[in-house]
Amino acid sequence: MKKLISRILLGTTILASSACTKIDNYDGPNASFEGNLISSEGGNLLTSQGSSQIRLEQISWSATPSPQEIPSKFDGTFKDSKLFKGTYKVIPKGGAFWPLYDTLTVDINKGTKHDFTVTPYILIKNFTAVLNGKTLTLKYTMEAPIGAGLPTIIETQPYVNNTKLVGAGASIRDFSDIYKKAINKEWADMTDADKSVTIDIPDMLPGRKFFVRVGVRLNDSFKSSNFSEIIEIDVPAN
Amino acid sequence: MKSIHKLIIAISISMGALVTSCQKLDIPPTNIFTPDIIFGSEAGVKSFLATIYRGLPIEDFKYRPDQGFKTGGNDWENFFNSASVTGEEVGPFGGMDIGGGFGYWPYGDIRNVNILIEELPKHADKLGQSNVDALLGEAHFLRAYYYFGLAKRYGGVPIVTTVQDPGAPLSELQVHRDKEEATWDFIGAELDLGYQMMNETNELGRANKYAAAALKSRAMLYAGTIAKYGSANFVDGQARAEGFAGIPADKANGYFTKAYDAAKLLEGHYSLYEKNSDKVQNYVDLFLKSESPENIFVKQYSIISGTAHSWDATMSPRYMTANALTRSYPTLDLVQRWGNLPVTNSDGTPKRFNDRAELMQGLEPRLLATVYFPGATLRGLTFDMQRGIYPSFSGTAAAEVAKPANSRSYILSGDTKTLYQGRMIIGFTGPWTGGDELTRTGFYVRKYIDAAKPISTVDLNRSEQPWIDLRYAEILLNRAEAAMELGNAGDALTVINMIRNRAGATPYTSIDIDKIRNERGMELAFENQYYWDLKRWRIADVVLNNARFKGLMPYYVFNENKYIFLSEPELFQRNYNFDKKFYYEPIPGGELGKNPNLYPNNPNY
Repeated sequence: MKKLISRILLGTTILASSACTKIDNYDGPNASFEGNLISSEGGNLLTSQGSSQIRLEQISWSATPSPQEIPSKFDGTFKDSKLFKGTYKVIPKGGAFWPLYDTLTVDINKGTKHDFTVTPYILIKNFTAVLNGKTLTLKYTMEAPIGAGLPTIIETQPYVNNTKLVGAGASIRDFSDIYKKAINKEWADMTDADKSVTIDIPDMLPGRKFFVRVGVRLNDSFKSSNFSEIIEIDVPAN
Repeated sequence: MKSIHKLIIAISISMGALVTSCQKLDIPPTNIFTPDIIFGSEAGVKSFLATIYRGLPIEDFKYRPDQGFKTGGNDWENFFNSASVTGEEVGPFGGMDIGGGFGYWPYGDIRNVNILIEELPKHADKLGQSNVDALLGEAHFLRAYYYFGLAKRYGGVPIVTTVQDPGAPLSELQVHRDKEEATWDFIGAELDLGYQMMNETNELGRANKYAAAALKSRAMLYAGTIAKYGSANFVDGQARAEGFAGIPADKANGYFTKAYDAAKLLEGHYSLYEKNSDKVQNYVDLFLKSESPENIFVKQYSIISGTAHSWDATMSPRYMTANALTRSYPTLDLVQRWGNLPVTNSDGTPKRFNDRAELMQGLEPRLLATVYFPGATLRGLTFDMQRGIYPSFSGTAAAEVAKPANSRSYILSGDTKTLYQGRMIIGFTGPWTGGDELTRTGFYVRKYIDAAKPISTVDLNRSEQPWIDLRYAEILLNRAEAAMELGNAGDALTVINMIRNRAGATPYTSIDIDKIRNERGMELAFENQYYWDLKRWRIADVVLNNARFKGLMPYYVFNENKYIFLSEPELFQRNYNFDKKFYYEPIPGGELGKNPNLYPNNPNY
């Protein structure tokens, strides 16, 4: 019996020691890529959930790689720290900015940084949010850095949420989507009155804190929106 | 010495066995069917054809747009239909869950058709030349059907017309994508061959020459609208720039003419079903009577062969079936294609009804045959839809619906057993939000429901009524739309009024493209056409722009002993949003991995 056990032990020892001789010598995904989406009009491009991405294609791996995307954060920054080291074609896409067609080739290694400069379709200026009783009044004007050839302006709407993460897909419908204003006009056909918007949101809940921003949606390939900055509103208790 | 003799005998026997044994090994294998056996007899060809027909991308009762075509014996979840993401119905899908498709890639089936086309002419001596010609025509129809299933999803795909040799060099096997225009042209040419070579009639469930013409009218209409509207509303990208996704706008009229001419070929050979003078029953019967002169191409089902579907059991509540599970319900938005229902008085207050069924008075017969309204009956039981009870009701319908739920004075209930002063609060048939059995819009589907089946037999996998894949009404609608796009309003009006007369609707005195599209939406509701219509008209991203749909909620007003109907958000509260990139589905990732020549993928994938 003892003999048998020791033989089995010997067998497993041999198997175990011989099993691991081939070491995986590929580097793990330890490279990173980060940076900013800078607006040509100053500051970072203000984005929202899923509104703009950096598309990466690892051309050092395959001639026809499957694309991967880094979503941009709300403040217009992006970062992916789990990439494989290699040569990538990169391009920002999806957001409400004039599309870039020239992809950039980048060698991504540890801590690679790159900032992209994009021209937003629409800038939201003079954004104010004033609380009067329980009614929140939002005022803002639209400007276009480049007017000619701008995609059709579909609509504008407020986004209200109870967290700082506020924007398309992250808002309270009863304070946001139902106050959507349809526009459906070309930029050239919009009057100054069309470009200056006032929205009243009644019946804000007393004693709560809200985060408010507004957006303008355009009929480009992504039907993406340009966003304003975020304003914090404290509705006083009754 | 003796042993040497034995050894010699043994060696010579084994030598003899070895030498003779190998002579007859080069014979045709006896355990598989060779082309001679399959294509040498009509029965053999038929069995081969059955496989090809079985795989056809027919979007029938069982088709699940996020998973694919189902041919098994227990594919009962028939409520997962494309109508449920387009606003015709709401229900099983959480939103626009089918935009990316399911990676349809039927080149195995297409190879079978290619084998058929290659082999048939070699066996003309046994099958007869005329049979071979008719079968070849059928094969061209089938090949076109497969490519149509591909083209409407991906645009341009590789056109493979030969039986590829698996041993061929990789560069030959990795076929390039063809342009979208070339793909549609190929489909048109294949269907022309089908029309020329097939006979006037064929077995039930198989295509004849008119099925080829009918499919051509559908396919060419798709191509024409994609050319016209796809060049105005599109997603930019390499595949578009190179012609794999998109057709030049100036090609539109050529396709519309082809669609119109193909539809015209059926004139005089098929007609609308008008056998019953009761217009409602007539419209119900047309989907159930196999002798209908409207049916061009049908798909059959059978319990014995394990292919039966579950339409009856998944579209009606368990109250009226033996064992049902429903989950998709027609919306008020669909019903309002026929115009607004008379549920509100001119002052905005809800109209009072003595009986739920009163609502149906004066409605178009086709509408009543398409959707079960509150107050309708099925298998001797009444659709007693009731959302709740108002002890009393004052004010306008709009003001009541706008109130937050907790400040409305209605009484709701989680089950049928709860009573309010002796009256049931909700109906046996809903609406109710507690489970997957009862309507959440106030309506149920009636189209294709077989009311003659006794309750005890209405079970899952027990429905055998055929799916009418091509029917003459659709061909007339194709013809009207193509005519209108070509500026022939006169013919469009005539044809639309044929359909409206059969439906029991008032004929139009003038026509426009919106009326034609609306007619199509009414006539072909729940027939898995509207999803593709929204796509080819390139309006899906507008119609389904964070869209929410409505239901019609019946309430009982207790102090008046009357019923009222309120238009309210449907009770799933789903939100549907169509991304522009969904106008083309992505080429399946696995195929891209095998064949880099399929790049560029469609825009934005």
